[in-house]
Amino acid sequence: MTDVQRIIRTLTRQQAALHLETTDLCFLIALHVRAERAALASFEEELLYDVYEQVCATTEPEAQQLRKRATHAIQRLREQRLLARVDGSGFVRAGEYAMTRLAWAIVEQHIEEQVLTRESLTLLTHTLALQLEDIRNAALTARKPEEWKTRVVNPLRVTVSDLIGGIERRQRGLDAQQEDLRHEIAHLLQRDWFEAIEACEQLLQLTARTLQELNEVLMRDAARLQATLHDIAQRAFERQAAEAEETSNRVADHIDRVAAWGTARLQAWSEYFIFVQRYLRAVVRLDPHRALSQRLRDQLAGWTQLPFALVTAEQPRLPAMRALDTRPERPPVQRPAQDLEAVMQEIAPPEDARALPLETRVSNALQTRPEALSSVLKTLLDAVPDQDRYRTVGRIAALVAASGRVDTSVIDKPWTPVADDLEVEEWTVRWDELKP
Amino acid sequence: MSLNPYSRLEEVIQDDLFPPTDLALRAGRHIDQDDLDAYTFLVDALPWLDPLYRRYGFDLIRSPDGYFFLVPQSDKLPRRTLSAADMLVGQALALMLLDPMSIQAAGVVPRAQLMELLDKLLGADNLIFAVNPRRKRRDEKVDHELVRKEIDRALRHLASLGFIDVVQDGQLRLRAPLLRFADPVRDLGAPADSLAKLIGRGQATLLDLDTEDSPDHASDDEEDDQP
Repeated sequence: MTDVQRIIRTLTRQQAALHLETTDLCFLIALHVRAERAALASFEEELLYDVYEQVCATTEPEAQQLRKRATHAIQRLREQRLLARVDGSGFVRAGEYAMTRLAWAIVEQHIEEQVLTRESLTLLTHTLALQLEDIRNAALTARKPEEWKTRVVNPLRVTVSDLIGGIERRQRGLDAQQEDLRHEIAHLLQRDWFEAIEACEQLLQLTARTLQELNEVLMRDAARLQATLHDIAQRAFERQAAEAEETSNRVADHIDRVAAWGTARLQAWSEYFIFVQRYLRAVVRLDPHRALSQRLRDQLAGWTQLPFALVTAEQPRLPAMRALDTRPERPPVQRPAQDLEAVMQEIAPPEDARALPLETRVSNALQTRPEALSSVLKTLLDAVPDQDRYRTVGRIAALVAASGRVDTSVIDKPWTPVADDLEVEEWTVRWDELKP
Repeated sequence: MSLNPYSRLEEVIQDDLFPPTDLALRAGRHIDQDDLDAYTFLVDALPWLDPLYRRYGFDLIRSPDGYFFLVPQSDKLPRRTLSAADMLVGQALALMLLDPMSIQAAGVVPRAQLMELLDKLLGADNLIFAVNPRRKRRDEKVDHELVRKEIDRALRHLASLGFIDVVQDGQLRLRAPLLRFADPVRDLGAPADSLAKLIGRGQATLLDLDTEDSPDHASDDEEDDQP
């Protein structure tokens, strides 16, 4: 079972769920701000009530019994592991609470606007480069496994990973900002149409320039960082420090991903930029009063009244010649004409054949312990007229098979001639004692 | 020094881009700036190609919206008239292209949005009548299935003519030639007059819905529609 499946089963068993109403969410955000401003690690219970009442005054001004509502809200947040009681005093006295990591993450998602800028990216990559230089120097002097662990592996895992995580977090912030920007451009055009052209172009150019700068920084610095990481990995390989080598390779993968982000976003924005520029030129500027949409809508709605169609060129179809049929002509099934007037000829059966029935003759032949079906047939067929032989062979074979002495273990049976124009599949007749 | 890379028709024809571009135009494809190589070739070669195609009886049209296409001017030349379903889908897509909200995803719109728009503007009955006027209404489910198939066929057809790209997950990428469907209402004058001018220039024709091939019999000429 993988970890993910185990986690899912655990969460399902616990019926874990998150349900945050607007007031609860605002309450958490207000607590976060209060903690940041006053450098608080935890909140006294009375402070929680105060903050909740302030939030409620804004979100639900008509609400009554605020203290009771605050008690319920705190209880809800504790049940959902967003608030944790940290004093450990139980019911003895008023508690002290702290926001959990989950609460911090939710709040940060809503309030933190960490967006990648040229300045922040340059600062982060510069710090990252300095850290990696230190680690490379440590790798050059490390001898014992503990030294590799404390001076190379741990800094790579914690410090460097945190810095890269910081860049990625800001990249996600910039992605979200671009998404908002696309909405904003669409809404600007929706609202102001022709008057929005200048604002849209400025927004487009500003973002394009930002992305271009970021991509340049990423491409340049990523190469430098990768070179340092390669040195560390090489040194670790030489010193057989497998953990350090693996960690530095993993960090290198992260940096690759960070650099690829810049190129991908620049490409995507470039396509969007071209599309919007064309739209502004071909649609907005040519239709400053935005009459075309309405006229086209009317045309479509009334199209069945005056149906028309556009005309285009068409490639003439090349005649496809049918392939020559080379199959031979099969003659119809025929049989030789029979002389219906021919005089019937009476043929007397052989003397001994008339005397004994076939079953008896086969039984007699089997008394001589023949080793194969062909031997039985050769013995008996001499007395059978030519025209009856084919049919008689079938009957004899059936009688031999019924004797239960035919060896059925042979799969690929050979064919043996038993007369001039007759072959049969050879059956071996077994005379050893058959197992019951 | 001239900016144009071609000084003679011979140079145009000897360019590697000429055969594929010529074949695409003759097959009815509209070439816009998304087909960058072919488009820039046509921009440069237009002074030589225009008289060449005219001698064959074609008009090489360059739209102000940024695309090229061929219009046959002689009855002897093969021509294709878009079907009723093509026209309805094309007009609806053009309407979606004009909507500023389409630029959020750089002109990529979900297919479901097209169905909603057609339903909203025409109504289910009109839509069924338009795609198959000779069909008597029998069963709602069968009719809807018929409309869905016709719209699918129209989308493939429009894609082969360069009006749209069908991208994955049921998404459609709208292209500039869709604005051709708005040509009859471009001018501020009466749409009927503009349509008459388009018909006069051989770019459009009136459809008789009663004689339109029924989808029941329109058979599977889909293979012919492929680019």
